[in-house]
Amino acid sequence: MPAPTPQSIDAPDRRRVRIVWRDGHESIYENRYLRLSCPCASCVNEWTGERTLREADIPKEIRPASWHLVGQYALSIEFSDHHDTGIYSYELLRKLCPCPLCHPVSG
Amino acid sequence: MSQEKDKEISEAVMKGLGRVIEPDFKKDLVTLKMIEDLSVKDGIVTFTVILTTPACPLKEEIKKACLEALKPIEGIRHVDIHMTARTTGGGAKEGKAEIEGVKNVIAVSSGKGGVGKSTTSVNLAIALTELGAKVGILDSDVYGPNIPLMLGINALPKQVNNRWFPPKVYEIPVMSMAFMAPPGAPLIWRGPMLHGIITQFIRDVEWGELDYLVVDMPPGTGDAQLSLAQLVPVTGTVIVTTPQEVALSDARRGLAMFQKVNVPILGIVENMSTFHCPNCNHETPIFSQGGGEKAAIELKVPFLGRIPIDLSIRVAGDEGRPIGISHPESPLSAAYLKIAGNIASRISILNSEFQPITLGTLA
Repeated sequence: MPAPTPQSIDAPDRRRVRIVWRDGHESIYENRYLRLSCPCASCVNEWTGERTLREADIPKEIRPASWHLVGQYALSIEFSDHHDTGIYSYELLRKLCPCPLCHPVSG
Repeated sequence: MSQEKDKEISEAVMKGLGRVIEPDFKKDLVTLKMIEDLSVKDGIVTFTVILTTPACPLKEEIKKACLEALKPIEGIRHVDIHMTARTTGGGAKEGKAEIEGVKNVIAVSSGKGGVGKSTTSVNLAIALTELGAKVGILDSDVYGPNIPLMLGINALPKQVNNRWFPPKVYEIPVMSMAFMAPPGAPLIWRGPMLHGIITQFIRDVEWGELDYLVVDMPPGTGDAQLSLAQLVPVTGTVIVTTPQEVALSDARRGLAMFQKVNVPILGIVENMSTFHCPNCNHETPIFSQGGGEKAAIELKVPFLGRIPIDLSIRVAGDEGRPIGISHPESPLSAAYLKIAGNIASRISILNSEFQPITLGTLA
Protein backbone atom coordinates (compact mmCIF):
# COMPACT_ATOMS: atom_id res chain seq x y z
CA MET A 1 0.00 0.00 0.00
CA PRO A 2 1.42 3.41 -0.90
CA ALA A 3 1.63 5.78 2.06
CA PRO A 4 -1.14 8.40 2.30
CA THR A 5 -0.15 11.76 0.82
CA PRO A 6 -1.48 15.20 1.71
CA GLN A 7 -2.79 17.57 -0.90
CA SER A 8 -2.54 20.60 1.36
CA ILE A 9 -1.39 21.44 4.87
CA ASP A 10 -2.39 24.69 6.55
CA ALA A 11 -3.43 26.37 9.78
CA PRO A 12 -7.11 27.41 9.52
CA ASP A 13 -6.74 29.39 12.79
CA ARG A 14 -4.20 29.84 15.59
CA ARG A 15 -5.29 26.71 17.43
CA ARG A 16 -5.31 24.03 14.79
CA VAL A 17 -3.56 22.40 11.82
CA ARG A 18 -5.55 21.04 8.91
CA ILE A 19 -4.52 18.42 6.33
CA VAL A 20 -6.58 17.64 3.26
CA TRP A 21 -5.47 14.26 1.94
CA ARG A 22 -5.26 13.24 -1.68
CA ASP A 23 -7.98 10.63 -1.11
CA GLY A 24 -10.33 13.42 -0.01
CA HIS A 25 -10.11 12.80 3.75
CA GLU A 26 -9.72 15.83 6.01
CA SER A 27 -7.84 15.80 9.32
CA ILE A 28 -7.90 18.59 11.89
CA TYR A 29 -5.42 18.52 14.76
CA GLU A 30 -5.26 20.68 17.88
CA ASN A 31 -1.79 22.25 18.08
CA ARG A 32 -1.15 20.86 21.54
CA TYR A 33 -2.20 17.34 20.50
CA LEU A 34 0.39 17.47 17.69
CA ARG A 35 3.12 18.68 20.04
CA LEU A 36 2.27 15.93 22.55
CA SER A 37 2.41 13.33 19.76
CA CYS A 38 5.96 14.32 18.74
CA PRO A 39 7.81 11.14 17.66
CA CYS A 40 11.38 12.44 18.17
CA ALA A 41 13.97 10.71 20.33
CA SER A 42 13.78 13.30 23.11
CA CYS A 43 10.01 12.85 23.44
CA VAL A 44 9.83 9.05 23.04
CA ASN A 45 12.24 6.43 24.39
CA GLU A 46 13.72 4.82 21.31
CA TRP A 47 14.00 1.37 22.86
CA THR A 48 10.82 1.00 24.84
CA GLY A 49 8.61 3.35 22.82
CA GLU A 50 7.61 4.92 26.14
CA ARG A 51 6.63 8.58 25.97
CA THR A 52 9.10 10.56 28.09
CA LEU A 53 7.55 13.94 27.34
CA ARG A 54 5.50 15.22 30.30
CA GLU A 55 2.15 16.65 29.37
CA ALA A 56 2.34 19.22 32.14
CA ASP A 57 5.49 20.70 30.58
CA ILE A 58 3.74 21.75 27.41
CA PRO A 59 2.12 25.19 27.49
CA LYS A 60 -1.61 25.40 26.73
CA GLU A 61 -1.13 27.99 24.01
CA ILE A 62 1.55 26.14 22.06
CA ARG A 63 1.47 26.43 18.26
CA PRO A 64 3.68 25.80 15.23
CA ALA A 65 6.11 28.69 14.68
CA SER A 66 7.50 27.41 11.37
CA TRP A 67 7.35 24.28 9.28
CA HIS A 68 8.74 22.70 6.13
CA LEU A 69 8.33 19.54 4.10
CA VAL A 70 10.98 16.83 4.49
CA GLY A 71 11.72 15.00 1.26
CA GLN A 72 8.63 13.31 -0.11
CA TYR A 73 7.48 11.77 3.13
CA ALA A 74 7.15 14.09 6.11
CA LEU A 75 6.44 17.45 7.72
CA SER A 76 8.90 19.03 10.13
CA ILE A 77 7.41 21.43 12.69
CA GLU A 78 9.15 23.95 14.92
CA PHE A 79 6.83 24.73 17.83
CA SER A 80 6.58 27.96 19.78
CA ASP A 81 8.45 26.26 22.69
CA HIS A 82 11.44 26.02 20.25
CA HIS A 83 11.10 22.26 20.00
CA ASP A 84 12.01 21.51 16.37
CA THR A 85 13.26 17.90 16.21
CA GLY A 86 9.93 16.28 15.40
CA ILE A 87 9.61 14.85 11.89
CA TYR A 88 6.00 13.85 11.35
CA SER A 89 5.79 11.32 8.52
CA TYR A 90 2.57 11.45 6.51
CA GLU A 91 1.95 7.90 7.64
CA LEU A 92 2.10 8.99 11.29
CA LEU A 93 -0.03 12.08 10.68
CA ARG A 94 -2.71 9.93 9.08
CA LYS A 95 -2.62 7.57 12.07
CA LEU A 96 -2.94 10.56 14.41
CA CYS A 97 -6.10 11.82 12.68
CA PRO A 98 -8.52 12.35 15.56
CA CYS A 99 -11.74 12.30 13.52
CA PRO A 100 -14.48 9.83 14.55
CA LEU A 101 -14.09 7.97 11.25
CA CYS A 102 -10.42 7.14 11.99
CA HIS A 103 -10.97 6.67 15.76
CA PRO A 104 -14.53 5.47 16.25
CA VAL A 105 -15.75 5.67 19.85
CA SER A 106 -16.93 2.24 20.93
CA GLY A 107 -20.34 1.78 22.59
CA MET B 1 -3.37 24.84 -54.52
CA SER B 2 -5.24 27.54 -52.67
CA GLN B 3 -4.61 28.78 -49.17
CA GLU B 4 -8.16 27.82 -48.39
CA LYS B 5 -7.43 24.21 -49.19
CA ASP B 6 -4.29 24.29 -47.02
CA LYS B 7 -6.33 25.61 -44.13
CA GLU B 8 -8.81 22.80 -44.58
CA ILE B 9 -6.00 20.25 -44.54
CA SER B 10 -4.48 21.84 -41.45
CA GLU B 11 -7.75 21.44 -39.55
CA ALA B 12 -8.10 17.85 -40.71
CA VAL B 13 -4.52 17.14 -39.58
CA MET B 14 -5.21 18.41 -36.05
CA LYS B 15 -8.36 16.31 -35.95
CA GLY B 16 -6.42 13.26 -37.15
CA LEU B 17 -3.61 13.77 -34.62
CA GLY B 18 -6.27 14.17 -31.95
CA ARG B 19 -6.98 10.49 -32.49
CA VAL B 20 -3.36 9.36 -32.05
CA ILE B 21 -2.97 7.98 -28.54
CA GLU B 22 0.35 8.26 -26.70
CA PRO B 23 0.78 4.69 -25.37
CA ASP B 24 2.33 5.69 -22.02
CA PHE B 25 -0.02 8.50 -21.10
CA LYS B 26 -3.09 6.96 -22.73
CA LYS B 27 -4.24 10.33 -24.07
CA ASP B 28 -4.10 11.84 -27.55
CA LEU B 29 -1.19 13.96 -28.79
CA VAL B 30 -3.26 17.15 -29.15
CA THR B 31 -4.68 16.97 -25.62
CA LEU B 32 -1.15 16.33 -24.33
CA LYS B 33 0.02 19.45 -26.23
CA MET B 34 2.69 17.39 -27.96
CA ILE B 35 2.10 18.92 -31.41
CA GLU B 36 3.79 22.19 -32.33
CA ASP B 37 4.69 24.28 -35.40
CA LEU B 38 2.08 22.79 -37.71
CA SER B 39 2.20 24.31 -41.16
CA VAL B 40 0.61 23.32 -44.46
CA LYS B 41 1.84 24.74 -47.71
CA ASP B 42 0.71 23.50 -51.10
CA GLY B 43 -0.34 20.22 -49.54
CA ILE B 44 2.99 19.72 -47.77
CA VAL B 45 2.43 19.15 -44.06
CA THR B 46 5.15 19.75 -41.49
CA PHE B 47 4.88 19.62 -37.70
CA THR B 48 6.92 18.82 -34.60
CA VAL B 49 6.12 16.18 -32.00
CA ILE B 50 7.43 17.15 -28.57
CA LEU B 51 8.25 14.09 -26.51
CA THR B 52 8.69 14.16 -22.74
CA THR B 53 12.10 12.50 -22.98
CA PRO B 54 14.69 12.23 -25.76
CA ALA B 55 15.15 8.62 -24.64
CA CYS B 56 11.53 7.78 -25.48
CA PRO B 57 11.41 4.13 -26.63
CA LEU B 58 8.13 4.78 -28.46
CA LYS B 59 9.55 7.45 -30.79
CA GLU B 60 9.18 5.40 -33.98
CA GLU B 61 5.84 3.95 -32.95
CA ILE B 62 4.37 7.42 -32.40
CA LYS B 63 5.72 8.69 -35.71
CA LYS B 64 4.20 5.74 -37.55
CA ALA B 65 0.84 6.25 -35.82
CA CYS B 66 0.85 9.93 -36.89
CA LEU B 67 1.50 9.04 -40.53
CA GLU B 68 -1.22 6.39 -40.37
CA ALA B 69 -3.72 8.87 -38.93
CA LEU B 70 -3.09 11.40 -41.70
CA LYS B 71 -3.36 8.90 -44.56
CA PRO B 72 -7.12 9.32 -45.17
CA ILE B 73 -6.85 13.12 -45.50
CA GLU B 74 -7.28 14.23 -49.09
CA GLY B 75 -4.93 16.72 -50.66
CA ILE B 76 -1.81 15.91 -48.62
CA ARG B 77 1.20 15.53 -50.90
CA HIS B 78 3.84 14.96 -48.27
CA VAL B 79 4.19 14.76 -44.48
CA ASP B 80 7.35 15.87 -42.70
CA ILE B 81 7.50 15.07 -38.95
CA HIS B 82 10.21 16.39 -36.63
CA MET B 83 10.63 14.52 -33.39
CA THR B 84 12.14 16.46 -30.52
CA ALA B 85 11.98 16.39 -26.74
CA ARG B 86 11.54 18.66 -23.78
CA THR B 87 12.36 16.52 -20.79
CA THR B 88 9.91 17.01 -17.98
CA GLY B 89 11.22 17.54 -14.46
CA GLY B 90 10.05 15.74 -11.38
CA GLY B 91 8.39 16.78 -8.19
CA ALA B 92 11.18 15.16 -6.26
CA LYS B 93 12.52 18.59 -5.39
CA GLU B 94 9.77 19.05 -2.87
CA GLY B 95 11.23 19.55 0.57
CA LYS B 96 14.82 19.23 -0.68
CA ALA B 97 17.55 21.38 -2.12
CA GLU B 98 17.41 21.64 -5.89
CA ILE B 99 20.33 20.68 -8.09
CA GLU B 100 20.78 23.53 -10.50
CA GLY B 101 20.18 22.57 -14.13
CA VAL B 102 19.26 18.95 -13.32
CA LYS B 103 15.76 17.86 -14.33
CA ASN B 104 15.63 14.32 -12.97
CA VAL B 105 17.68 12.25 -10.56
CA ILE B 106 17.83 8.46 -10.91
CA ALA B 107 19.19 6.64 -7.86
CA VAL B 108 20.70 3.26 -8.66
CA SER B 109 20.67 1.16 -5.52
CA SER B 110 20.92 -2.40 -4.27
CA GLY B 111 20.03 -4.23 -1.09
CA LYS B 112 23.57 -5.59 -0.84
CA GLY B 113 27.01 -5.14 -2.39
CA GLY B 114 28.54 -6.97 -5.34
CA VAL B 115 25.50 -7.16 -7.59
CA GLY B 116 26.92 -4.85 -10.28
CA LYS B 117 25.30 -1.62 -9.23
CA SER B 118 28.15 0.63 -10.42
CA THR B 119 28.46 -1.23 -13.73
CA THR B 120 24.72 -0.79 -14.21
CA SER B 121 24.92 2.93 -13.36
CA VAL B 122 27.69 3.55 -15.87
CA ASN B 123 26.05 1.59 -18.67
CA LEU B 124 22.64 3.15 -18.04
CA ALA B 125 24.17 6.61 -18.23
CA ILE B 126 25.82 5.73 -21.53
CA ALA B 127 22.62 4.17 -22.91
CA LEU B 128 20.58 7.27 -21.98
CA THR B 129 23.21 9.45 -23.68
CA GLU B 130 23.02 7.24 -26.75
CA LEU B 131 19.25 7.72 -26.82
CA GLY B 132 19.81 11.46 -27.02
CA ALA B 133 19.58 12.62 -23.40
CA LYS B 134 22.04 14.79 -21.49
CA VAL B 135 23.30 12.73 -18.57
CA GLY B 136 25.64 13.09 -15.60
CA ILE B 137 26.89 10.62 -13.00
CA LEU B 138 27.22 11.19 -9.27
CA ASP B 139 29.21 8.39 -7.70
CA SER B 140 28.12 8.52 -4.08
CA ASP B 141 29.27 5.04 -3.16
CA VAL B 142 30.97 5.91 0.10
CA TYR B 143 32.61 2.50 0.49
CA GLY B 144 34.03 1.80 -2.95
CA PRO B 145 33.69 4.69 -5.38
CA ASN B 146 35.11 3.17 -8.59
CA ILE B 147 33.13 4.84 -11.35
CA PRO B 148 36.11 7.01 -12.44
CA LEU B 149 38.06 3.77 -12.95
CA MET B 150 35.29 2.16 -15.01
CA LEU B 151 35.14 5.23 -17.22
CA GLY B 152 38.91 5.66 -17.46
CA ILE B 153 38.87 9.11 -15.87
CA ASN B 154 42.24 10.42 -14.72
CA ALA B 155 41.36 14.10 -14.40
CA LEU B 156 40.14 15.69 -11.18
CA PRO B 157 37.34 18.23 -10.87
CA LYS B 158 38.44 21.85 -11.19
CA GLN B 159 37.51 24.29 -8.48
CA VAL B 160 36.89 27.90 -9.50
CA ASN B 161 35.30 30.44 -7.13
CA ASN B 162 33.85 27.73 -4.93
CA ARG B 163 32.22 26.01 -7.90
CA TRP B 164 33.26 22.49 -8.85
CA PHE B 165 33.62 21.64 -12.54
CA PRO B 166 33.43 17.86 -12.93
CA PRO B 167 35.62 16.05 -15.48
CA LYS B 168 33.71 14.87 -18.54
CA VAL B 169 33.98 11.61 -20.41
CA TYR B 170 31.85 10.57 -23.41
CA GLU B 171 30.04 13.91 -22.83
CA ILE B 172 29.07 12.76 -19.32
CA PRO B 173 30.14 14.95 -16.36
CA VAL B 174 31.20 12.75 -13.45
CA MET B 175 31.56 13.57 -9.76
CA SER B 176 32.83 10.90 -7.40
CA MET B 177 33.70 10.30 -3.79
CA ALA B 178 36.94 8.89 -5.23
CA PHE B 179 38.04 12.43 -6.16
CA MET B 180 37.91 13.33 -2.48
CA ALA B 181 40.46 10.75 -1.32
CA PRO B 182 43.80 9.41 -2.53
CA PRO B 183 43.53 6.02 -4.31
CA GLY B 184 43.92 3.03 -2.03
CA ALA B 185 43.21 4.98 1.14
CA PRO B 186 40.39 3.49 3.19
CA LEU B 187 37.25 5.57 3.07
CA ILE B 188 35.77 6.14 6.45
CA TRP B 189 32.93 8.58 6.31
CA ARG B 190 31.24 9.64 9.48
CA GLY B 191 27.64 10.77 9.25
CA PRO B 192 28.19 14.54 9.41
CA MET B 193 31.15 14.39 6.98
CA LEU B 194 29.11 12.43 4.50
CA HIS B 195 26.27 14.86 4.90
CA GLY B 196 28.65 17.77 4.25
CA ILE B 197 30.21 16.31 1.13
CA ILE B 198 26.92 15.24 -0.43
CA THR B 199 25.49 18.68 0.27
CA GLN B 200 28.52 20.12 -1.54
CA PHE B 201 28.00 17.78 -4.48
CA ILE B 202 24.43 18.95 -4.75
CA ARG B 203 24.99 22.66 -4.18
CA ASP B 204 28.41 23.49 -5.59
CA VAL B 205 28.85 21.34 -8.70
CA GLU B 206 28.36 22.85 -12.16
CA TRP B 207 26.52 20.01 -13.86
CA GLY B 208 25.31 22.09 -16.78
CA GLU B 209 21.88 21.29 -18.23
CA LEU B 210 21.06 17.63 -17.54
CA ASP B 211 17.98 15.58 -18.38
CA TYR B 212 19.10 12.86 -15.98
CA LEU B 213 21.62 12.62 -13.19
CA VAL B 214 22.41 8.98 -12.41
CA VAL B 215 23.39 8.56 -8.75
CA ASP B 216 25.32 5.43 -7.87
CA MET B 217 24.20 4.80 -4.30
CA PRO B 218 26.21 2.97 -1.63
CA PRO B 219 25.03 -0.67 -1.37
CA GLY B 220 22.79 -1.75 1.45
CA THR B 221 20.02 -0.19 3.45
CA GLY B 222 21.79 1.58 6.28
CA ASP B 223 22.08 5.08 7.58
CA ALA B 224 24.27 6.38 4.73
CA GLN B 225 21.77 5.23 2.11
CA LEU B 226 18.82 6.64 3.96
CA SER B 227 20.34 10.07 4.46
CA LEU B 228 21.44 10.12 0.81
CA ALA B 229 17.94 9.26 -0.33
CA GLN B 230 16.77 12.17 1.77
CA LEU B 231 19.44 14.67 0.80
CA VAL B 232 19.42 14.10 -2.94
CA PRO B 233 16.18 15.07 -4.70
CA VAL B 234 15.60 11.61 -6.18
CA THR B 235 12.95 11.33 -8.91
CA GLY B 236 12.94 7.57 -8.60
CA THR B 237 15.12 4.62 -7.80
CA VAL B 238 16.27 1.60 -9.79
CA ILE B 239 17.01 -1.50 -7.73
CA VAL B 240 19.72 -3.79 -9.07
CA THR B 241 19.65 -7.42 -8.00
CA THR B 242 21.09 -10.81 -8.96
CA PRO B 243 18.69 -13.63 -9.84
CA GLN B 244 19.05 -16.00 -6.88
CA GLU B 245 16.44 -16.45 -4.16
CA VAL B 246 18.25 -14.42 -1.51
CA ALA B 247 18.15 -11.50 -3.92
CA LEU B 248 14.45 -11.34 -3.27
CA SER B 249 14.94 -10.64 0.42
CA ASP B 250 17.58 -7.99 -0.32
CA ALA B 251 15.43 -6.32 -2.94
CA ARG B 252 12.54 -6.32 -0.50
CA ARG B 253 14.66 -4.53 2.11
CA GLY B 254 15.82 -1.91 -0.39
CA LEU B 255 12.31 -1.36 -1.58
CA ALA B 256 10.95 -0.96 1.93
CA MET B 257 13.56 1.69 2.67
CA PHE B 258 12.60 3.83 -0.32
CA GLN B 259 8.91 3.32 0.30
CA LYS B 260 9.37 4.53 3.86
CA VAL B 261 10.56 7.91 2.56
CA ASN B 262 8.12 7.94 -0.41
CA VAL B 263 10.78 7.76 -3.13
CA PRO B 264 9.11 6.18 -6.20
CA ILE B 265 10.49 2.81 -7.36
CA LEU B 266 11.21 2.90 -11.11
CA GLY B 267 11.74 -0.85 -11.18
CA ILE B 268 14.11 -3.79 -10.79
CA VAL B 269 17.05 -4.69 -13.04
CA GLU B 270 18.24 -8.31 -12.91
CA ASN B 271 22.00 -8.35 -13.34
CA MET B 272 24.26 -11.40 -13.98
CA SER B 273 21.35 -13.32 -15.44
CA THR B 274 22.83 -16.32 -17.28
CA PHE B 275 26.33 -17.13 -18.50
CA HIS B 276 26.73 -17.89 -22.16
CA CYS B 277 29.91 -19.97 -22.44
CA PRO B 278 32.03 -18.74 -25.35
CA ASN B 279 33.67 -22.18 -25.72
CA CYS B 280 30.77 -24.63 -25.74
CA ASN B 281 27.83 -22.23 -26.28
CA HIS B 282 26.12 -23.65 -23.22
CA GLU B 283 23.89 -21.35 -21.15
CA THR B 284 24.54 -21.64 -17.42
CA PRO B 285 22.32 -19.79 -14.94
CA ILE B 286 25.17 -19.41 -12.40
CA PHE B 287 23.09 -17.32 -10.03
CA SER B 288 19.85 -19.15 -10.89
CA GLN B 289 17.32 -17.29 -12.98
CA GLY B 290 14.17 -15.24 -12.85
CA GLY B 291 14.70 -13.99 -9.26
CA GLY B 292 14.58 -10.34 -10.30
CA GLU B 293 11.38 -10.77 -12.22
CA LYS B 294 9.84 -12.79 -9.40
CA ALA B 295 10.79 -10.04 -6.94
CA ALA B 296 9.24 -7.41 -9.21
CA ILE B 297 5.97 -9.34 -9.43
CA GLU B 298 5.84 -10.03 -5.70
CA LEU B 299 6.68 -6.46 -4.76
CA LYS B 300 4.39 -5.05 -7.47
CA VAL B 301 7.02 -2.88 -9.17
CA PRO B 302 8.01 -2.88 -12.87
CA PHE B 303 10.60 -5.34 -14.09
CA LEU B 304 12.95 -3.26 -16.24
CA GLY B 305 15.04 -6.01 -17.85
CA ARG B 306 17.90 -8.46 -17.42
CA ILE B 307 21.61 -8.28 -18.21
CA PRO B 308 23.46 -11.58 -18.80
CA ILE B 309 26.88 -12.34 -17.33
CA ASP B 310 29.40 -11.55 -20.00
CA LEU B 311 33.14 -11.27 -19.76
CA SER B 312 33.16 -8.30 -22.10
CA ILE B 313 31.17 -6.16 -19.61
CA ARG B 314 33.75 -6.81 -16.92
CA VAL B 315 36.73 -6.33 -19.28
CA ALA B 316 35.23 -3.14 -20.69
CA GLY B 317 34.73 -1.79 -17.17
CA ASP B 318 38.24 -2.67 -16.07
CA GLU B 319 39.70 -0.99 -19.14
CA GLY B 320 37.66 2.13 -18.62
CA ARG B 321 35.77 1.74 -21.90
CA PRO B 322 32.23 0.61 -21.02
CA ILE B 323 30.45 -1.85 -23.27
CA GLY B 324 28.13 0.75 -24.81
CA ILE B 325 31.24 2.58 -26.06
CA SER B 326 33.57 -0.32 -26.90
CA HIS B 327 30.89 -2.65 -28.36
CA PRO B 328 27.79 -0.59 -29.26
CA GLU B 329 26.61 -3.39 -31.57
CA SER B 330 26.62 -6.10 -28.87
CA PRO B 331 23.33 -7.56 -27.56
CA LEU B 332 24.44 -6.36 -24.12
CA SER B 333 24.43 -2.74 -25.29
CA ALA B 334 20.96 -3.39 -26.71
CA ALA B 335 19.83 -4.75 -23.33
CA TYR B 336 21.02 -1.58 -21.60
CA LEU B 337 19.32 0.60 -24.23
CA LYS B 338 16.04 -1.19 -23.61
CA ILE B 339 16.29 -0.73 -19.85
CA ALA B 340 17.25 2.94 -20.27
CA GLY B 341 14.19 3.51 -22.48
CA ASN B 342 11.94 1.84 -19.91
CA ILE B 343 13.34 4.05 -17.17
CA ALA B 344 12.91 7.22 -19.24
CA SER B 345 9.25 6.49 -19.93
CA ARG B 346 8.56 5.57 -16.30
CA ILE B 347 10.00 8.94 -15.26
CA SER B 348 7.89 10.82 -17.82
CA ILE B 349 4.77 9.13 -16.47
CA LEU B 350 5.73 9.85 -12.85
CA ASN B 351 6.35 13.51 -13.68
CA SER B 352 2.99 13.81 -15.42
CA GLU B 353 1.23 12.37 -12.38
CA PHE B 354 3.06 14.51 -9.85
CA GLN B 355 0.94 16.85 -7.73
CA PRO B 356 2.65 19.24 -5.32
CA ILE B 357 1.64 19.53 -1.66
CA THR B 358 0.47 23.02 -0.75
CA LEU B 359 1.93 24.15 2.54
CA GLY B 360 0.10 27.09 4.11
CA THR B 361 1.86 30.03 5.78
CA LEU B 362 1.79 30.37 9.55
CA ALA B 363 0.44 33.57 11.07
